[in-house]
Amino acid sequence: MASSVASKRLFQEYRTITNDPPEGITAGPVTEDDIYVWEALIQGPEGTPFEGGIFPAELKFPKDYPLAPPTMRFTCDMWHPNVYPNGMVCISILHAPGDDPNHYEHASERWSPIQSVEKILISVMSMLAEPNDESPANVDAARMWRERRSDYEKMVRDNVRKGLGL
Amino acid sequence: MDSISEVSDPTDWLPTPLPLLAPVDSALRCQVCKDFYETPMITSCSHTFCSLCIRKCLSSDGRCPACREQDQASKLRRNWAIQEVVESFKTARPQVLDVAKRRENEEDGSPVQIKGRKRKWQDVGGEREDAEGARKAARQTRSQSRKATTSAISQDIVILDSEGDDDYDPSGEAEDYPQPGDGLVPCPVCGARMKEEAVWLHIERCDGNPPKKLSEARSITPQISASRHNRPPQPNLIPRLPQLNYSLLKDGALKKKFDDLGIPNWGSRELLIRRHTEWVNLYNSNADSSTPKSNRELLRELDLWERSQGGRAPARDALSKKKDFDGKAWMEGNKSQFDELIREARKKRQVPSKKEGQKEETANDAERSPNMPSALPGQLALSSTKKMPMFAMPSEPIRDGDGIEDSTQ
Repeated sequence: MASSVASKRLFQEYRTITNDPPEGITAGPVTEDDIYVWEALIQGPEGTPFEGGIFPAELKFPKDYPLAPPTMRFTCDMWHPNVYPNGMVCISILHAPGDDPNHYEHASERWSPIQSVEKILISVMSMLAEPNDESPANVDAARMWRERRSDYEKMVRDNVRKGLGL
Repeated sequence: MDSISEVSDPTDWLPTPLPLLAPVDSALRCQVCKDFYETPMITSCSHTFCSLCIRKCLSSDGRCPACREQDQASKLRRNWAIQEVVESFKTARPQVLDVAKRRENEEDGSPVQIKGRKRKWQDVGGEREDAEGARKAARQTRSQSRKATTSAISQDIVILDSEGDDDYDPSGEAEDYPQPGDGLVPCPVCGARMKEEAVWLHIERCDGNPPKKLSEARSITPQISASRHNRPPQPNLIPRLPQLNYSLLKDGALKKKFDDLGIPNWGSRELLIRRHTEWVNLYNSNADSSTPKSNRELLRELDLWERSQGGRAPARDALSKKKDFDGKAWMEGNKSQFDELIREARKKRQVPSKKEGQKEETANDAERSPNMPSALPGQLALSSTKKMPMFAMPSEPIRDGDGIEDSTQ
């Protein structure tokens, strides 16, 4: 199994992301025994209420990766219109192009085998800065973001501080 | 087990004095497996992928992974030119990288004697020549040309260098080079000697043609063209397997096909179809290859698939691994129903009634856990909560939809 396509490609991606990490992002397998479970740390983008925060997330890869996308779940508190209350990230790049339950995502934004962990994490980072409230995963957060932006931002900042143990 | 250090990657070039080779390295890799192209195939939309990678993608969703144009495996064509480039680059890569790394050490390490550096530059010339053709050999001595050939085999520039020390003959070299001790270095591409600082500028416009001494080149050219012919430019004669229209085949007929193909025919119909698809991909990509593997090797690869994704895969994968089954979306779409069912089941547990049997069935159905023995009414609430992690739910207890409180605790 060690030489399966999926694990080979995950090693390759691990190598790339270690040698040349995008700014504000680190990621790698939790243990080298199981290359299919990764942990990622994303820095809150500057100029957003997430600034200054470090957000841990867990990525789980299917055995037929890269044909099918991984799933991503924040393991910290995350108050965001596109993150479910349980931490699961809902973003078009993580959705396989086959079926579109929400009927709003362009095929070009969806998962394709040529995408990568790096591109997912960069997309998630920009999602933090610019939520997409067309089909929110967390309806309450989306409503708050739309209607009471300052409360939303305070909530996010409080989470950031809590995450840093302040 | 693979180890991270065994994986070559375009980023290997970034810390060396040759970071511009990173995009070259990357351009020679398949975007699906991120490794160097293996039996590259070109699609109708003119994108290139490894044969096996693109065949798997096409059998999964019928579209090119790069542009999402619809395409069919039968329209794939080989891309021999890329294959040739990849193969020569793969041969040259370890040596070029080694030289680049050493040069980096020299630059920020202690000064190295000029002679040592010069020898290395000649070695670069040697390996490029090996990879790209004999023209560049024109200014090499015969002994160096020979060394270059051995270098391709040993792939080890260090050994090459120490061997070279024994038969290193400055006087012999003087026949071809103006002066070994003239403070000049040869261009790694054409071998022309020039001042060290001029080399970089020169490389940019070097066309690989040495200025003179073509007689030696002629003597080596036949070898090179011979080696080019080792790679058959004509397709091998293994016929491709046709894809089957599974819906037209009854189970018995399908299994008979499997016997004819010599692949295992156990398992459910769904598994049979997935196995056949995998086999057709493995077989046809092997048929594309210029160096096909044996049937036994292919069967071993199928067995590997069987154990990682097929019928012998660990049970938790079997659930969600139907190709187009989006477990996450399904789980998310039905979360409210799950919660509802769990709530009701809990309520029912507290107030036992005659309708339980029916409820229980619905709950089990929603969880898609057919293996679970039909739960006794008393176990229902417990087993529902326990089964949830199968849908990649968090390990925390299930919440009842009150998001605000949850994420602010």
